[in-house]
Amino acid sequence: MIDTIEKEDNIISEEEAAQYDRQIRLWGLDAQKRLRGSRVLLVGLRGLGAEVAKNLILAGVKGLTLLDHEQVTEESRRAQFLIPVDADGQNQAQASLERAQLLNPMVEVKVDTDAVESKPDDFFFQFDAVCLTRCSKDLMVRVDQLCASRNIKVFCGDVYGYHGYMFSDLGQEHHYVEEKPKVVKGSNEANDGPEAKKGKVDPNETTMVKKTISFCSLKEALEVDWTNEKAKSSLKRTPADYFLLQVLLKFRTDKGRDPQPDSFAEDSQLFLQIRDDVLETMGLSSELLPNTFVRYLQMQKLMGGLDAPHRNFFFFDGLKGSGVVDYFGSK
Amino acid sequence: MALADSLFSCRVLVVGAGGIGCELLKNLVLTGFKNIEVIDLDTIDVSNLNRQFLFQKKHVGKSKAQVAKESVLRFCPSANITAYHDSIMNPDYNMEFFRNFQLVMNALDNRAARNHVNRMCLAADIPLIESGTAGYLGQVTVIKKGQTECYECQPKPTQKTFPGCTIRNTPSEPIHCIVWAKYLFNQLFGEEDADREVSPDTADPEAAWNPADAAARATASDQDGDIKRVSTKEWARSTGYDPVKLFNKLFKDDIMYLLTMDKLWKKRKAPLPLDWTEIQQIESSQEESCGMGLKDQQVLGVQGYTQLFRRSVETLRSQLIEKGEGAELVWDKDDPSAMDFVSAAANLRMNVFSMNMKSRFDVKSMAGNIIPAIATTNAVIAGLIVLEALKILNSDFDQCRTIFLNKQPNPRKKLLVPCALDRPNSNCYVCASKPEVTVKLNVHKTIVQALQDKILKEKFGMVAPDVQIEDGKGTILISSEEGETEANNNKFLSGFGIRNGSRLQADDFLQDYTLLVNVIHSEELEKDVEFEVVGDAPDKAPAPSAPEEGKNIANGNKDSAQPSTSSKAAAEDDDVLIIDSDEEPSSSTMEASPESSNRKRKHHDADDAASKRKRLDQQPSDDDEDIIALD
Repeated sequence: MIDTIEKEDNIISEEEAAQYDRQIRLWGLDAQKRLRGSRVLLVGLRGLGAEVAKNLILAGVKGLTLLDHEQVTEESRRAQFLIPVDADGQNQAQASLERAQLLNPMVEVKVDTDAVESKPDDFFFQFDAVCLTRCSKDLMVRVDQLCASRNIKVFCGDVYGYHGYMFSDLGQEHHYVEEKPKVVKGSNEANDGPEAKKGKVDPNETTMVKKTISFCSLKEALEVDWTNEKAKSSLKRTPADYFLLQVLLKFRTDKGRDPQPDSFAEDSQLFLQIRDDVLETMGLSSELLPNTFVRYLQMQKLMGGLDAPHRNFFFFDGLKGSGVVDYFGSK
Repeated sequence: MALADSLFSCRVLVVGAGGIGCELLKNLVLTGFKNIEVIDLDTIDVSNLNRQFLFQKKHVGKSKAQVAKESVLRFCPSANITAYHDSIMNPDYNMEFFRNFQLVMNALDNRAARNHVNRMCLAADIPLIESGTAGYLGQVTVIKKGQTECYECQPKPTQKTFPGCTIRNTPSEPIHCIVWAKYLFNQLFGEEDADREVSPDTADPEAAWNPADAAARATASDQDGDIKRVSTKEWARSTGYDPVKLFNKLFKDDIMYLLTMDKLWKKRKAPLPLDWTEIQQIESSQEESCGMGLKDQQVLGVQGYTQLFRRSVETLRSQLIEKGEGAELVWDKDDPSAMDFVSAAANLRMNVFSMNMKSRFDVKSMAGNIIPAIATTNAVIAGLIVLEALKILNSDFDQCRTIFLNKQPNPRKKLLVPCALDRPNSNCYVCASKPEVTVKLNVHKTIVQALQDKILKEKFGMVAPDVQIEDGKGTILISSEEGETEANNNKFLSGFGIRNGSRLQADDFLQDYTLLVNVIHSEELEKDVEFEVVGDAPDKAPAPSAPEEGKNIANGNKDSAQPSTSSKAAAEDDDVLIIDSDEEPSSSTMEASPESSNRKRKHHDADDAASKRKRLDQQPSDDDEDIIALD
């Protein structure tokens, strides 16, 4: 679907040029046009969702659909900045709409108050990209699978206290371009100065190089076989956050919610139990995810999305201040 | 819940309400900080709206600090926010002011202010969180007196400047022409500057066939001045700012003059003068707007830029007239006619010197030192700032780190790279116990004003210096009180008995900063160089065993420690970032990226005991390398 964007409206208006100036200077006019032609679905409007919404709207996508079936509570209102103070009881996405739209009137912001689980397959097909937050593992796997068939980009992410993850599936054949400096050789008419030196690299002249990489499905990424030798040897360099994610997703599936500071005692017990189960099923030791992780399941909102096609997980550890990109799944 | 309590009761200061500032304010209130003060001297511009999300179109022109406060209160009415539409360098914000806060967080975009806040926080002994972003890159660090490096412990590279003769006689790159065009703008319409001439430099040493000749030319041109030399502005005025006459002088007559300095063109391609009449006669080529791109991104032809030159001169001329007698215009990249003028003049000059011309879009980037910026980088950095803030408030100071945000993961897969903080530099000319520097200059040629403005203010970041000579008598050379030592301004230092080996004590009472300046007299400084700080080598590669280089946070487009004088925006845009990236000691390739230089030094990172670090002092094509101190 992204390929057809080129055929759409190619003129950037003066207003857009002025507003998007600083980002056009970063990623180029072409990229801005592609953004401007894309429709994105965002599921979940809590802290992380609000950040993602803000970033996408400011970037100037064509349309953003905010989907959330939950209601505003005091907790959810304090987690994000789009919901007005008097909105308790309203639908979360609906309550976020006005402020979201004000961020950039040039973007079509829509609201959908259905539960994402209830959506039929073809609902997702109207989008170029889908962002899932606070979703169950099964839902994410399902959506990822059906989007892959239509070359719709999928991003999943969640925040758990001081930890966060993001997963991206950009498809089996994701095309992108890289800007490389152009090397000017010998006598070249198109030189930037009267002295044409041989092989001079002109920092201002660059060339775009096309590249392709492939991403695996979420299912594959979460079902890595740790029993083979290769996987075992890479364990040492594997961020513990990957296993944390597995445990938290199972917690969410089993309990229907994430661990809460309010029910810390009960939740941490359950958490540790699930940890044992999950790691055992994988044929791994519980030591990979020490008990200390439990301490930090608290409230903290983290940051927004990232730009470059990081492959395929990003794990953030707010205590260490480290952010790691890692790949899980078949290569 | 001690942390929650301290969040509730502590007072924090946010310096800057722009890209990082907006995100930071949001994060602070959502985290539970209750007492926040924010200061920003700037007003909102439409180009801010792609990332400074607390502002909307209807707010353009209003105070950033004020509107930021109002927007935040909308989603957190219980927050206690004070907004100041002011410069943090205003003496009202003295040590007492800073002592009100438990924490200061910078969200700045220029070095002058960073230096100043650094000193204020050292003076008041308040922890400071520094940060910066540029494009996809960002950095956060913590500064605490006595425990970590201060912002000025490591020398920051000064911004690239070009020799006068390159600008005036022998430009070889578009940037030289752009600098020339900006100088020209000021000479014609703004504040004239004797250091920024645009006419051919007859005293160019390169032009002389023998050294005696150069000296003769130099004296000749000095003497001539009394009779023949008329300032560029006076001359322009005398012609009524006639665009055709201006055009012919700048792009024909002056070029023909340069051609007579034949030695310059022995090894260089000689410039080709333009003629107004000839250009008018060429078929106006269809610089077809392909409608696909931005209008600004088209590269026009000579005719196009000639027309643009004429139109912009006429517009600027009327602006001058409107302002009245003795009026001056101030360069502002966002002022369309000023930008048109510079774009046209620079391109015409590029054409004269056989360079490929540039679009207005590109000229604006270079002329305005624009750093590309997006919301997400600022969001990440602001998030990291708050996490560091929490550590500080929780007295977990040993957990604080410098964190770098890179565009691609390093060999250890890290995109966010935390590094241990460094101890203070015992030789730092700001935070050492008795800071001292040695400055080389010519006591017979340096005037007191230059010492004050170029050395103490610009180079050493003082805002209101007081200077005494250590001559046993404590002679006062410069007083920060207005008018007191004005009579000294134009006198040479030697006139006060200052000579080789003299010592000056410079104080900035606002910053609680005393610097001892040792003077070395020299008659052998390079052309265009007024002084040199001994031990300072910002433009040369340091020796491999050099002490740790700065992990330089985005500091500023302008190297000068002074804020720009532009009335609209003191600082132009977000900062240039220089990053150190963490690296595997053994197996990693030394070329993590082709742009990186090969300077390595030992450093500690949070995870690893000893890991080498590489300094990337050239950014990927996002950032313009040739950034110069302008204005």
